[in-house]
Amino acid sequence: MVAIDPILLHILLIAISGTLICTAVHFIPVGGAPAAMAQATGIGTGTVELAAGSGLVGLITASYMYANGPAPGIPPSMVMVLAAGAMGSMVMLASTMFAGSLVYAYGVAVPFASAQVKKDPITGERQDLYMSKGTQGHGLPTICFVSGVIGAALGGAGGGLIYYVLMQIYSPYIAASAAAVAGVFTMGVFYVNAVIPSYGVGGTIEGVHDPKFRRVIGKDVITSFFVSLICGVVAVFIAQGMIA
Amino acid sequence: MVLDLTMSMAILALMGALATIAGCLEDLESDVGSQSNPNSQVQLAPQMGFLHRIFNKAISGEPISNGLSAVIGGTVASVLLSAEFYPLTAIVIGAFVAAIILGIFATTSYAGRVASQTRFKQPLYMDIMRYTTPSIIAHNFIMNFCLVAISYIQYEILGYPFTIPFLALIWGISAGAIGSSVGDVHYGGEREFQNREFGCGLNTALSGRIVRKAESGLRNSIDNVWFCAKFGGPATGIALGLTVFFSSWPTTIWGYTWKAIGIGILIVVVFIVLNRFLEINAKNAYGPYKEEKNETEAKA
Amino acid sequence: MSDIKERSPNQLMIFGIIGGLLGIYLTFLLPLIGDKIHGTIGEIINTIAPVAGALGAICAVMWGADAVRRVAKYGLGTGVPSIGQIAMGMGIIAAMFGLAIVKKNIIAGPIVAVATASIIGFIIGWFAQNVIKMKIPVMIRCMTEIAASGTIIIIGFSAAVAGNFEFGNIVNLVFDNGIMLVVFWVGAMAILHPFNACLGPDEKQKRLLYLAGSTGAITMAIVGLAAIMTLGASGVITMLLGIVLWLIFYKKFWDEVYNDASSVVGTGLIPKTEA
Repeated sequence: MVAIDPILLHILLIAISGTLICTAVHFIPVGGAPAAMAQATGIGTGTVELAAGSGLVGLITASYMYANGPAPGIPPSMVMVLAAGAMGSMVMLASTMFAGSLVYAYGVAVPFASAQVKKDPITGERQDLYMSKGTQGHGLPTICFVSGVIGAALGGAGGGLIYYVLMQIYSPYIAASAAAVAGVFTMGVFYVNAVIPSYGVGGTIEGVHDPKFRRVIGKDVITSFFVSLICGVVAVFIAQGMIA
Repeated sequence: MVLDLTMSMAILALMGALATIAGCLEDLESDVGSQSNPNSQVQLAPQMGFLHRIFNKAISGEPISNGLSAVIGGTVASVLLSAEFYPLTAIVIGAFVAAIILGIFATTSYAGRVASQTRFKQPLYMDIMRYTTPSIIAHNFIMNFCLVAISYIQYEILGYPFTIPFLALIWGISAGAIGSSVGDVHYGGEREFQNREFGCGLNTALSGRIVRKAESGLRNSIDNVWFCAKFGGPATGIALGLTVFFSSWPTTIWGYTWKAIGIGILIVVVFIVLNRFLEINAKNAYGPYKEEKNETEAKA
Repeated sequence: MSDIKERSPNQLMIFGIIGGLLGIYLTFLLPLIGDKIHGTIGEIINTIAPVAGALGAICAVMWGADAVRRVAKYGLGTGVPSIGQIAMGMGIIAAMFGLAIVKKNIIAGPIVAVATASIIGFIIGWFAQNVIKMKIPVMIRCMTEIAASGTIIIIGFSAAVAGNFEFGNIVNLVFDNGIMLVVFWVGAMAILHPFNACLGPDEKQKRLLYLAGSTGAITMAIVGLAAIMTLGASGVITMLLGIVLWLIFYKKFWDEVYNDASSVVGTGLIPKTEA
């Protein structure tokens, strides 16, 4: 196997993490404003903000994991940081979706139904019968919930990965400020990559089972990969600027 | 700072409690102003001929506006902390400044949105402006206080690598995302459309036809928060509390190991199972809307 | 409404770029002059230098808000706020790159940053238009403009906090204490809020620009408050000037609201309509 130049590897990893965030947005079942009126399946908020909300909680847990390595000064392995990010992000989205389900079930009193599939691929239950008149489904059926959790894991891992890579790049130059710079840059990359797919999906998506998922994910991922690649190049150049 | 297990659990519990209050107040604040997703209906109503006396607080989505107030609160608090203020004073002043600024944004969005609806003859009610804005500021103040306090604890006591404004911003975004996913459903799905049949989603044909009459007199935003405080707000609070608590609980108990990550995943699985129970419960309790036309197809 | 005279995009773009860069460079140039003149006047010039950065950023806020208005009019499918977020996301990446890459030639920093932002904005706009196929004719141009204005806003307000735009200095005074986040977030809010708050069929550019001035001035006041921690006296001036500017723009905005609104009433019942 050809040894990859570390700088090239860093750029590639940032591009991959941007792509992970972009993919994550497609997995999270978001119904936008209609879902808040129990008019569409999914969580009743915007794609960008939910992905950001969960992904950034993942960033907090990932950064804390990074700061608490096996020994002082030695960070834990990359996989560990990624897993911590994924965990924080998943916990946030799972508790949000669960509380949302509580409101759908007991506040609005609707059974959960997806409009995009006739049967839930996981539980095999009929969906179309439980859809009230004039709506595009409502609530969070199991498939949406599971899809959302997977999406949150990807988003949290993506955020954790950029943070990890940037800490590797910046720590040698600006030890004390590395966390602040890496954190802000992560946030910038995160938002760019969360907004791009939300334009692709047009604000609403039900999750992995939605036909829209297959239709848009390809071009969104390509866009995201290239844009994140540029971000990666930029990140490495910023480090060059720190040497002086 | 290294703490023993009892102390770190106590701090975690305190953070969870603060987050629960913050989440609840966040949602209620958005209901006072009719923000975020249900706002689309308030915005649409005059176009459908339904003029109303409800505040139109279109300060972007909740995550952004709550991120805004939290990050301002965090910044002001850290400026005051650097000037050697007592932490509690610094957090309170920071939260207050941020709440006032959110109030200013709220007034501009209500005035701006109504002025852009001239052709539908929607009047700008100054009394609504005068007594809803202080309520927004008050709710927001409590949320800011809780979130900045959480950030202060994480930064100063637990030693997170990010600064107070950064942590406050992230928790603000997170609180907003949760509030608009959980509590808004109660306001948008139920309170705005109480005149339609209970127990169904909103028929698209009814969009914009919001309820404009209250239990007595004309409904305003204060009436809405009264209703949502019964369920939507507390549910949001529980969600944010669980998020803050369970995202650090595994690592607090089991350290920074794979075991802790495994426990975290286990928690998520428990949530999936709970949601499944909820789904079954709702489906059994309410039943299908349409009669099954083809029995054999359903069994297949 | 076409009969109302509006500022053209080009006018605002020139206003934003020239005003923004002028403000940013004044933070660098004024201390050079101030150091030459000894005594009180020199000190005063040195103290007010960082304020210019914030004033420049307000010019960029007005430009950015108008660019958001032009693109968001088409309906993005995800609401107005997302575009403000992506603007600041691109802006912060480009600003860090531009200021860091130039090393010792700090004078070139802001220009490199704006150019980088334009390129990133152009690429994202091109992808949005041709790969994601959003079919918004002004997408590419507006994305470029929004990214560039976002960068000017970030550099301008950062310079107001750090005193100049030298990367090491900004890292120490703006990143380390987390003030960058307030610049990032409140700056995003400043350019997305004006259109979001004025959304509707009777939206007018004049009202929007006054509101943009007002949100920019609020940001300036907050940044000034933060700068008290880093720069002392300059921060106080930035904050006070921000509050004064805010009062002016806020009053102007309300004048426009009184002009434009169907009716402004103290209280009253709902007027009768057909529904």
